[in-house]
Amino acid sequence: MNQLSYAQIDQTILDTLHPPRKSYWAIVAVLFLGILMGAACWIYQIFMGIGVGGHNIPVAWGTYLINFVFWVGIAHSGTLISAILHLFRAGWRNPIARAAETMTVFAVCTAGLFPFIHLGRVWQVYYILPYPNQRTLWPNFQSPLVFDVIAISTYLMVSSLFWYTGMLPDLAAVRDKATGLRRKIFAVLSLGWTGSHDHWRHYSRGYLFFAALATPLVVSVHSVVSWDFALGIAPGYHSTIFAPYFVAGAIHSGLAMVLTLMIPLRRIFRYQEIMPVKVLENVAKTIVFTGLIVGFAYITEFFMAWYSRNSVEVEVFRWRVFGVYKPEFWIMVVCNTMVPLLFLFKKIRTSIPWLFGISILVNIGMWFERFVIIITSVARDFIPHAWGFYRPSMIEWGIMIGSFSLFFFLFLLFVKHLPSVSMTELKVAPGRGGQQHG
Amino acid sequence: MVDEYHLMGLFRHEDQAAAVIRELNERPWKLKRVHSPIPSRLITEALKLKKSRVGLFTLFGGIFGLLSGFALSIFTATRWDLIIGGKPFVALIPFAIVGFEFTILSSVIGNVIGFLVSARLPMISTLELYDPRCSSDRFGILVGCEEGQKKDLEAFFKQHKGEIRVFDAQT
Repeated sequence: MNQLSYAQIDQTILDTLHPPRKSYWAIVAVLFLGILMGAACWIYQIFMGIGVGGHNIPVAWGTYLINFVFWVGIAHSGTLISAILHLFRAGWRNPIARAAETMTVFAVCTAGLFPFIHLGRVWQVYYILPYPNQRTLWPNFQSPLVFDVIAISTYLMVSSLFWYTGMLPDLAAVRDKATGLRRKIFAVLSLGWTGSHDHWRHYSRGYLFFAALATPLVVSVHSVVSWDFALGIAPGYHSTIFAPYFVAGAIHSGLAMVLTLMIPLRRIFRYQEIMPVKVLENVAKTIVFTGLIVGFAYITEFFMAWYSRNSVEVEVFRWRVFGVYKPEFWIMVVCNTMVPLLFLFKKIRTSIPWLFGISILVNIGMWFERFVIIITSVARDFIPHAWGFYRPSMIEWGIMIGSFSLFFFLFLLFVKHLPSVSMTELKVAPGRGGQQHG
Repeated sequence: MVDEYHLMGLFRHEDQAAAVIRELNERPWKLKRVHSPIPSRLITEALKLKKSRVGLFTLFGGIFGLLSGFALSIFTATRWDLIIGGKPFVALIPFAIVGFEFTILSSVIGNVIGFLVSARLPMISTLELYDPRCSSDRFGILVGCEEGQKKDLEAFFKQHKGEIRVFDAQT
């Protein structure tokens, strides 16, 4: 672990909050244009109708659902790192916990847009709210789609509160070093935190409960997302392994995104000393583990299709491998299960370019995993004369680019305006004294 | 009314601060607060602090969430009694998922309220009797004393290699 003094830790992180260079604002501007493009596509869809997307009958769920599941998945490893590894007292996660939590919050926000986009007539979203109304309609709490609304809303609320509460001591540290308007803003944001013994006593306890509650929540959220599919009867969807399969996949993709975000952050902000390669190596080792679980789930799906002797199920899985979507299938298999095995070699998992390259490939693979599951299952279901084909339309691509731009835009704004590494958690790292929160 | 003086001893290490706190317990001065940049078990033990009761808020939040999750599902199901897939209107297994999510949400909200109420936050007004170095790299021990005791207290902090900050007297 780092042997920097407390003051050096503060200085390293507070230095990142200095006014950024023009190149930063140039990247922010490009991402903002991406968001505008996505917004324009959505507005066009609102005026022209949902049919401007590529989805059809039988493939009624396209990239909107793919991206929804992808972003919810990305969110999961943030909670794994901040809550689950906290409970396990894995001190190596301290330098990346804050950025991972932030990734969670922004990824859930991005994911949360897609159900609205997919609604078509988005202004009628209030139909889903349970309140007495003249339509005498109520949401059906037996439906996995309603479970999903509740689960994602809960997840957004919990992860945002967890993120903000965990940041209070650092916001106070920024306040104490700032002057003028900036000091006033951070004085409000830090809620008057002084690090008194009473503050820490209640904070530590509260943080522990946060972690303990976020842990089952994270497992439940992606299980609920998986039931959107598994509780349907379509071949390829209707599977009992979906909940653990989706949770493992979510953590797999999220960890890869952590590497994708952390590696440039580490270089740009000169975090090498507080974020040693060992930390990234540990993330890579975890990716090997989740990759093996995901690979096992792929094999199990095929085994179950073969063992069931259900001809429709067998056909769906045969078609995944040899049909029109075979490039997507093989990208998924290679990127998610084979490429991460390269991390078994120490030389590769300690090399920054390899770590970065592989993390991007896993991200691509996990996006295609959602494509394969969502599209191929309904494109080739029970009745051959109703089989269909799906390719995303330009409008869907535009909205997808907009969503990626939004996520990176928010993350870039965060890293230059709030502490991207938790100063408190670095100070309590193992071997430095102090205690873990909670 | 006697004026009360406040002095803060600032220390670089938590074990130093913990030792001072232990010794202060046997002295006539009033230990007011300890500020630290990290949560410190040594300081907690030296102050002999009791466990926080934030958990009670979390527990009540959880119970409220569980009951309200089931209540909402059951209420809406009975308002709109449409038979779906032959399942009963009040289907406890799917409603358990709603109950679970509400439990977590309410527990977390209870947890946050508990933390804010117990720690008396937010406190937007000026930071009184506080040294900004305590959020960075110093452990600050705030002690109150009468005028006649001020010099002894300063000597005590100096003896323990602490820096001293004197605040204005308060009546």
